[in-house]
Amino acid sequence: MAKTILTVDDSTSIRQMVAFTLKGAGYEVIEAVDGQDALEKANHHRVNLVLTDINMPRMDGLKLLELLRELNHYKTIPILMLTTESGDEMKAKGRAAGATGWLVKPFDPKRLLEVIAKVIN
Amino acid sequence: MVEIKDEQVASNFYFDKSFDCHAVKLLPGEYFVTDKDLLLVTVLGSCVAACIRDCYSGIGGMNHFMLPDGGEAGSPLNASARYGTYAMEILINQLLKLGARRSNLEAKVFGGGNVLDGLTVANVGQRNADFVLKFLQTERIRVVAQDLVDIFPRKVYFFPKSSKVMVKKLRNQHNTTISQRERDYRQRLYKVDAGGEVELFS
Repeated sequence: MAKTILTVDDSTSIRQMVAFTLKGAGYEVIEAVDGQDALEKANHHRVNLVLTDINMPRMDGLKLLELLRELNHYKTIPILMLTTESGDEMKAKGRAAGATGWLVKPFDPKRLLEVIAKVIN
Repeated sequence: MVEIKDEQVASNFYFDKSFDCHAVKLLPGEYFVTDKDLLLVTVLGSCVAACIRDCYSGIGGMNHFMLPDGGEAGSPLNASARYGTYAMEILINQLLKLGARRSNLEAKVFGGGNVLDGLTVANVGQRNADFVLKFLQTERIRVVAQDLVDIFPRKVYFFPKSSKVMVKKLRNQHNTTISQRERDYRQRLYKVDAGGEVELFS
């Protein structure tokens, strides 16, 4: 059975590119436009991995990360940050909040799939 | 893999005597956002500049970029599209951080002149212009003014507070500074893999 990935980004262009990459590798993809939307979808779907942007309206990716880690199902599943942010301070915040990994945009599709394959199991 | 370090905040500040105001000059690969009454200036050959602002708050910014060659033409995942998307997203993210709202954003786009001679890829300017329009359409950001392609370099003056833009077409160039800067930038991009750094925490 295909694993399901929740991808969260307020940019339609990024969501399209990420979804195209993941679907091409055989994953089921659920898209969310911001943290709030992602939280609602995370509660209604069985997700195996979350891939989220940070800078988004309504709820940013770090807040989403914190709230997901409070939910039973999301305590241990991989949550990757895919962001333009590359500063150490921001990374430290992500790490402290329970991020599994940090990918700085622009993403390399091959590398993204390698990282996902490594952590999703 | 080469880490992209080309999208940089512009740091060339000066006082523009002609307009009697403080100004920032953007070079290829740079962007700048502000909520102050500043003038943003750039000179474009085949590069494009997106001037994006929140039409209510006046928070605005500009970038100056071109697409690198790379990957399969037409593929939504080619290096060119990924880099262009990144260049636009970093500008939009900085605007949102300053307090702009995504739904209030509007854009004016300039450049993409087919002015670089002797390049292996034809219609470099056209490609840049097509990309920026398609990106803004996908993101549902209204394009309220544009002056794209053609064969001349342009000097663009953007006043984010008022949204005013002035464009001067440079029909007579006295030196090769514009094309040389773009060639240098293009050379830097040529080496770019269009993939950022990756770090796993556990």
